[in-house]
Amino acid sequence: MPQAGPKYEPASAEAQSLTKAQKRAEGRARQEQQRAAKAAQKQQPQSGLGAPGTTGSSSSKSKGTVPKKPVSESNKTPSAAASSSKDAPTTLREGAGGLDGLSDGPKSRGLRIFSHFGLPKTPGHQIKGDIHPAIVKLGLQFSEFKICGANARCIATLTAFKMVIQDYVTPPHNTLSRHLMTHLSPQITHLVTARPMSVTMGNAIRQLKLEISGSDIDLPEQDAKDALCQKIDNYIRDRIIIADEVIEDLAVKKIKDEDVVLTYARSSLVEKIILRAHSLNKRFSVIVVDSRPLLEGKALLHSLTSTVPPIPCTYALLPALPSLITDADIVLLGAHSLHANGSVYSRAGTAMVAMLAKEHTVPVMLCCETYKFSETVMLDGFGKNELAPTKFSPASPKSNSNLEVLNPLYDSTPASCITAVVTEVGLIPPTSISSIPLALGRTTL
Amino acid sequence: MASDPQSAANQRIVEDLVSRLRRRQLVGSRATALETLLVLRQVVSKTRFSNLDQLVNVIQSVGRRLVEAQPKEHSVGNTVRKVLHHIREEYHTASEQPIVESSFSIAKFVLQGQPRKQATIPRSETRVPLKENDSNDPDSFARVLKPVLMEAIQDVFDELETVYDNISKNAKDHIHSDEIILTLGMSRTVQSFLKSAAHYRNYTVIVAETAPSYGGREMAASLSSAGISTFLVPDSSIYALMSRVNKVILGAHAILANGGMFATSGSLLAATAARSYSTPVVVCAGQFKLTPLWNLYHEYGALDFGDPNAVLGFEEGDLVNKVDVVNPYYDYVRPELLDVFITNYGDHPPSSIYRLLKETYDDEDNEL
Amino acid sequence: MADFQIYQSYQRLLKNEDLSTPLAAILALTEMMKQSNAGTMFELLNELKGNAEALSRHSSNPIGLNAGCELFIEFITLFPHDAASFSELKTELIRQGQQYAGQALAYRAKIAELAFDFIKDDSILTHSYSRVVLQTLLMAHKRKRISVFVTEARPRGMGIKTAEMLMAAGIPCTVVLDSAVAYAIDKVDFVLMGSEAVVESGGLVNAVGSNQIAIIAKAANKPFYALAESYKFHRMFPLSQYDLPSHNPGVLSFPQTPSARAHPASSGLSSESSSILSDNGSPIKITQEDIARNNPDVDYTRPDLISLVFSDVGSLTPEGVSQYLVGMFAG
Repeated sequence: MPQAGPKYEPASAEAQSLTKAQKRAEGRARQEQQRAAKAAQKQQPQSGLGAPGTTGSSSSKSKGTVPKKPVSESNKTPSAAASSSKDAPTTLREGAGGLDGLSDGPKSRGLRIFSHFGLPKTPGHQIKGDIHPAIVKLGLQFSEFKICGANARCIATLTAFKMVIQDYVTPPHNTLSRHLMTHLSPQITHLVTARPMSVTMGNAIRQLKLEISGSDIDLPEQDAKDALCQKIDNYIRDRIIIADEVIEDLAVKKIKDEDVVLTYARSSLVEKIILRAHSLNKRFSVIVVDSRPLLEGKALLHSLTSTVPPIPCTYALLPALPSLITDADIVLLGAHSLHANGSVYSRAGTAMVAMLAKEHTVPVMLCCETYKFSETVMLDGFGKNELAPTKFSPASPKSNSNLEVLNPLYDSTPASCITAVVTEVGLIPPTSISSIPLALGRTTL
Repeated sequence: MASDPQSAANQRIVEDLVSRLRRRQLVGSRATALETLLVLRQVVSKTRFSNLDQLVNVIQSVGRRLVEAQPKEHSVGNTVRKVLHHIREEYHTASEQPIVESSFSIAKFVLQGQPRKQATIPRSETRVPLKENDSNDPDSFARVLKPVLMEAIQDVFDELETVYDNISKNAKDHIHSDEIILTLGMSRTVQSFLKSAAHYRNYTVIVAETAPSYGGREMAASLSSAGISTFLVPDSSIYALMSRVNKVILGAHAILANGGMFATSGSLLAATAARSYSTPVVVCAGQFKLTPLWNLYHEYGALDFGDPNAVLGFEEGDLVNKVDVVNPYYDYVRPELLDVFITNYGDHPPSSIYRLLKETYDDEDNEL
Repeated sequence: MADFQIYQSYQRLLKNEDLSTPLAAILALTEMMKQSNAGTMFELLNELKGNAEALSRHSSNPIGLNAGCELFIEFITLFPHDAASFSELKTELIRQGQQYAGQALAYRAKIAELAFDFIKDDSILTHSYSRVVLQTLLMAHKRKRISVFVTEARPRGMGIKTAEMLMAAGIPCTVVLDSAVAYAIDKVDFVLMGSEAVVESGGLVNAVGSNQIAIIAKAANKPFYALAESYKFHRMFPLSQYDLPSHNPGVLSFPQTPSARAHPASSGLSSESSSILSDNGSPIKITQEDIARNNPDVDYTRPDLISLVFSDVGSLTPEGVSQYLVGMFAG
């Protein structure tokens, strides 16, 4: 993994050339990864879930470590890749014990189609290059799921970046506006190896890059850095904190006395809305529906019952939902991101809550800040997803070569199941999200 | 009626089963059905009766007690009804009188519109004339009829014992190569169905864990040890993965008269998700699960509730005081969400369950 | 002459509040049989069929009485003709008819018992006036706490009669506009409907407005239950709304010339519109009577909108109904 040393392009001083260099650096990094992957693949033809093809623990510093892994019995990193690839070379087993011809070689079709999900990440991955300690700490927190949730991750990332920027010193013969981004890239990549980037982080970083490249060359370095940090603070304040408050104001109006509010897992925004409604002395009760792998609803329960007087809560797991949905008056959901066709990418299980609510004509309100909007079109929960690390999986009694444990973390809810989306610009139907930028006179959200 | 020592013996075995059912020491449709059958066999063999009605009354009262002990185990009542149905049939074939139409009236004429019961093969070759209520020899009636009844009960036994095999017979016609099947929870019927298909086909199974009983884990372990490539996923991802699933196969706890069913909690989620992707939903269930009752799905209380500790245990501390926990054991799934029932007597769509019920049980037994 | 008589006796029998149209038709036929001087079975059947046709011709909504007549005639055709003399046979048939009509009056109670199992402490929506629904609700009120929404059922306003009877019995009840059913449906737990006839497809023929309510109930995911005595099962298969025997092309047609009407609107609702003049100068005024005359009396509800049919022969899915009918008329 080549260290992105200062790349000095004396001649062309426009932003494009620098991004070109940046792209070249990224391309080189990608090629290294693919080379490592191919080598690894040659070593282990039957690794589980197509592990080498993805970014992850397998693409470590040297290609040499990869083939060693299956042979070693190191259980310090209990990754699913290690355990399944341990089996692979030793037991040249067939695909799935069938008699109709799929005898040797790769796994059955079923197991292959989940391969793009990527491996569950191993904790304690390698640090490549010169990463700021704040970022290292953040990466560890991400991979351990100590910081979880789109908003939380974004705020944590931006806060860490502020520290990186403050500690950054522009190398001589460079300008901040051009060089800072290349300095930040490996930090970002490090975070991505811990956990795939969330749409919120992506949008925030894109905004940050815009600000950096637009910063005034003539400013003294400390002023420029301060200005950037101020911009970051403003972003957090405007797009997240204040947006949340506006959303709370709007959403609270829809909660009436004697209502039963149903919510799923834990959304920071929904939690705030419920607490705000409670502080306005509305009398209502809450049903919290929860599910593995993360079981975040319990944390929400703690926070809701800690109020004075405590909010009356009911707790159930997802299969109990049909019995409870008939009592609900309104369903409040959070989102990870909202897509151009109106579909919602959110915690796994949200789609089923929305679907059942629609069947029982219970209105579904999605609470989402505008910075979560993504231009892509999401068709189903399969195209893009993430698996929870193995520590959330149940203890499998024996490492059965036919049994794989999958914990997808996200799913995609179709727009038809959502009644309304509450954003800081008001309540909108889910499919109108793509026309908001135009309405606000901006080109993108 | 029956003389005292015999009815006392009857009482004992019935009470034993009643207490086991009430304390839930006996759980599971097939297990309860088998036990009920054993008790009924004892009762029939030990009871003294001199006409049909006496026997029917005894069995009905036994059935009533058993059903009251555990109303949620529907297979108990179903087995009693089945035995009564067989008893009446045997009686009609054994006795020489045809079924007499007492009067021909318009009301009867309308009722004749009922689906006719299938003709049974007469079991007894020698048609010994049945004397009912013979004061000289009160046991003659019973003596003639009992062996025939025992054979009939043995038939029901055989049906129950071969349930899994019969359902799995045609498994390979329902599952094709490279299909991805979704199932949930632990159902022995579905398990044997899938394992039998695995002998002929190479396919993949996704098993949803089904919190909080987590029966899916057991199912996944069992299927994978049989050589089927299996994925274990949490319930939350059922919808996320549904776009790739070819079929959903579920087990049932009881099949209701309108074609709906009671099934393990989580089945309604899977069936609803499947409906939105137009994925076929297949239910594997033995015919002893057919229940001639309609209105159960209306009662919220008809759902059984499990231990809330599994959902939110005492390790959560003082949360336990402040929060209501709901843990229903079963779901009611509407007939519109189901596509076919695979039973040990063939495949049936939900719309013909009603007709099947009329053929299997007698109307007068619907309310024991 | 004979035509007129049978219709008269039919009308007279209908004055008995308890008798529904099919039963009245059967009794009218038995009365006709008493006076008939047919000598053979063949003649008798011809007379019966002729009279049944006459009845249906005179009535604007013959579906109910068609069902009754067909049932009775089918029964007579299949009745074993092994009596000593023809007059004995006739007497027996007449007795059967009257006996059935007497028995059938108890069917409403039977249906009420069946339907009662499905009723908890619910809000129920019902339409217009149906004796069997009324009996069911009154029975349910004794043991459960129900509340009832009744649609007005214009133009005859029979729903108001239902509401009055329910309120007199102490059941919380309110009248809902026909157009407000979609607004009220979310407050309701299920819909209970009487019937004029249940047809071969498993669908329902009932007072106009039933189809609308069934569609709304389906859209709102609420169960829709039909109550029908078994003599209302009719061997007719309408393919669409306009395939009903009560349909005539005059219904919902556009009036040709605007004619001047001087008399005020009926049923207490005044159409106080300002006089709108037509081309030829005569004022156009549409009265309630015009509207009532131009609109259908019954409509057809498809079987996929119906959850269950409760009848004296048991609770049936709509598919189960056709099994009965085939058994009766083709078995």
